[in-house]
Amino acid sequence: MRILVVEDEPRLAVQLDVALRAAGYAVDLAADGRNALHAGEVEPYDAVVLDLGLPVIDGLTVLQRWRAAGRTMPVLILTARDAWHEKVAGIDAGADDYLTKPFHMEELLARVRALIRRAAGQADTRLACGPVVLDTRASRVTVDGRVLTLTGHEFRVLDYLMHRPGEIVSRSELVEHIYAQDYDRDSNTIEVFVGRLRKKLPPGMIETVRGLGYRLACPPQT
Amino acid sequence: MSATNLTPPPAGGWRGSLRLRLLAGTLAWIVATLAVSGWALAQLFGQHLTRQFEAELSTHLDQLAANLVVDAAGAPALRGPLGDPRFARPYSGLYWQADRLANDAGPAERGVLRARSLWDAVLVVPADALADGERHVHRVEGPDGEPLRMIERVLRPAEQPERPLRLVVAADERHLTQPVERFNGMLAAALALLGAGLAAAAVAQVWIGLRPLARLREVLADVREGRAAAIDGRFPTEVQPLVDEFNGVLARNAEIVARARTQAGNLAHAVKTPLAVLANAAAGESGPFATLVAEQVGAARTQVDHHLARARAAAAVASPGQRTPLAPVLEGLMRVMARVHGERGLALELAPCPDGLAFRGEAQDLHEMLGNLLDNACKWARRRVEVRALKRDGLFAVEIDDDGPGLAPALREEVFGRGVRADERAPGSGLGLAITRELARLYGGDVTLDASPAGGLRATLVLPRA
Repeated sequence: MRILVVEDEPRLAVQLDVALRAAGYAVDLAADGRNALHAGEVEPYDAVVLDLGLPVIDGLTVLQRWRAAGRTMPVLILTARDAWHEKVAGIDAGADDYLTKPFHMEELLARVRALIRRAAGQADTRLACGPVVLDTRASRVTVDGRVLTLTGHEFRVLDYLMHRPGEIVSRSELVEHIYAQDYDRDSNTIEVFVGRLRKKLPPGMIETVRGLGYRLACPPQT
Repeated sequence: MSATNLTPPPAGGWRGSLRLRLLAGTLAWIVATLAVSGWALAQLFGQHLTRQFEAELSTHLDQLAANLVVDAAGAPALRGPLGDPRFARPYSGLYWQADRLANDAGPAERGVLRARSLWDAVLVVPADALADGERHVHRVEGPDGEPLRMIERVLRPAEQPERPLRLVVAADERHLTQPVERFNGMLAAALALLGAGLAAAAVAQVWIGLRPLARLREVLADVREGRAAAIDGRFPTEVQPLVDEFNGVLARNAEIVARARTQAGNLAHAVKTPLAVLANAAAGESGPFATLVAEQVGAARTQVDHHLARARAAAAVASPGQRTPLAPVLEGLMRVMARVHGERGLALELAPCPDGLAFRGEAQDLHEMLGNLLDNACKWARRRVEVRALKRDGLFAVEIDDDGPGLAPALREEVFGRGVRADERAPGSGLGLAITRELARLYGGDVTLDASPAGGLRATLVLPRA
């Protein structure tokens, strides 16, 4: 899962970056409205954490332009502006949630998780596929109750697929959602990650759909 | 900040009323002018009639003198009758008489020759010294007891110059006073009518002239009651500058409030982001230092929230002429609640607002009060939150019901205390209810907590209606 963090206070941006990475997300940072606007328009983010008081272009304007351009990714507004009329303005500009500073990082993570889950149409915080269970709150994967050790990239690939069970996910889509923008991308590495995941997961769970991509097949629970 | 007192001080007698001042001045002037001109006209007419009356008597006197002859025996006689027939009719009111004056040649003889109209009466002429050619006017009593005006002269007959005669012509004075009285009566009536007309015109003029002020007062009341944001419409050129100035003051007031709020918001923003950084940094560490930082960040946050809320409350109610429709605010807040508490899948129900329901106050304050109460209800609700707006006499109420655990009656007042939280586990600074009550009371409303029929707590916010 790839997240855009728009925050002009560098220390807070770093803290968000660290916390979100630790939770298993690929994170892009934008420090002003113009960069944020551009990034949100061209990159397929799974969620955005958006500050409102931004240099160059105001956060609300950025959000409105994204929505006007048909960008539907979930957006969490993270701002110090805590007056209720400002919250109404934020939600009406197209935000999906609103969190005011100062905040607890755990709460931010919980809300980001919830946004991604809701956007994917998942109700439960625990995603299950056969014997494999991904606990989005703990960023932990178990197979038959046994904890699976995964690298960050492996976790992101599995996380993305688990949010879309039964759907065909192309390699390029995976690339876009597991790497941060500044990362040296190579779609061949996806095959490496999928290969490693297949070794760790029960056999046959990740199917290759020739010419299209991958699909997560969930065997019915016994 | 107390509610601004805009009611006018009680008017101090006529000095307090522009209308009475104008009317008193105009009416005093009308009465004085009419009285003086009435008196002058009456005088003029009276004098004119008197002169005419006396001139007529003089003419009769001259005629008498011209017709008077003295025979050889020294007895005066008329050469022929005098022209006016009234001299011949008894007690007609017009008389003449000739007296012989006393001197060395003989004693005074009254009424040696008299008009037939005198019949057998003799006019008693007050004794006075008459030089030749002089005419004196006297008032005497006539034969019928009537008041007479009398004119006299001395005649020395050529035949008997040593025995001068006093010739007297007298006429009933009522012939003079009656027309003057009639004239004065008519004059008084005419002037009274004129005065009444002028007074009515003055009243009408003052009323019409001051009507824009009455209209201004109505519009000002609208502004105060929140039905209008500024004074609308054109007023007479004498009043318009006042209106423009007042509108300017209103606009400036609103601007100052807006700027104060923006500055408070900016300050909060500037302080809260570093607080967030500090709190996050501390959360990543363990040990006494991290605990201290976390604790102090919490305290600082409470302080910032408190003072920001105070700044917002201080700006509240300061400017009259505010009107905020209720429905859009409630709908907006419900959208926020649906998102912010979306994870909990609450059923949020907003009953349709009565038409045209509006708050007499500032939109941000209404957002703040309702937002805090709704947020509270959503935090505690199990499954549903119901919101309903009701019209009351000059006020409106918003009832917010939740099906949460509710609150013990003993705690329902206590939670309005600043920083008191019913449960430390729930997020929030604990200021929301205190601020909501403070704002509501500043606007002359209130907020109360009761048991809800839905099972949890009912918060009722009562505010003035615009």
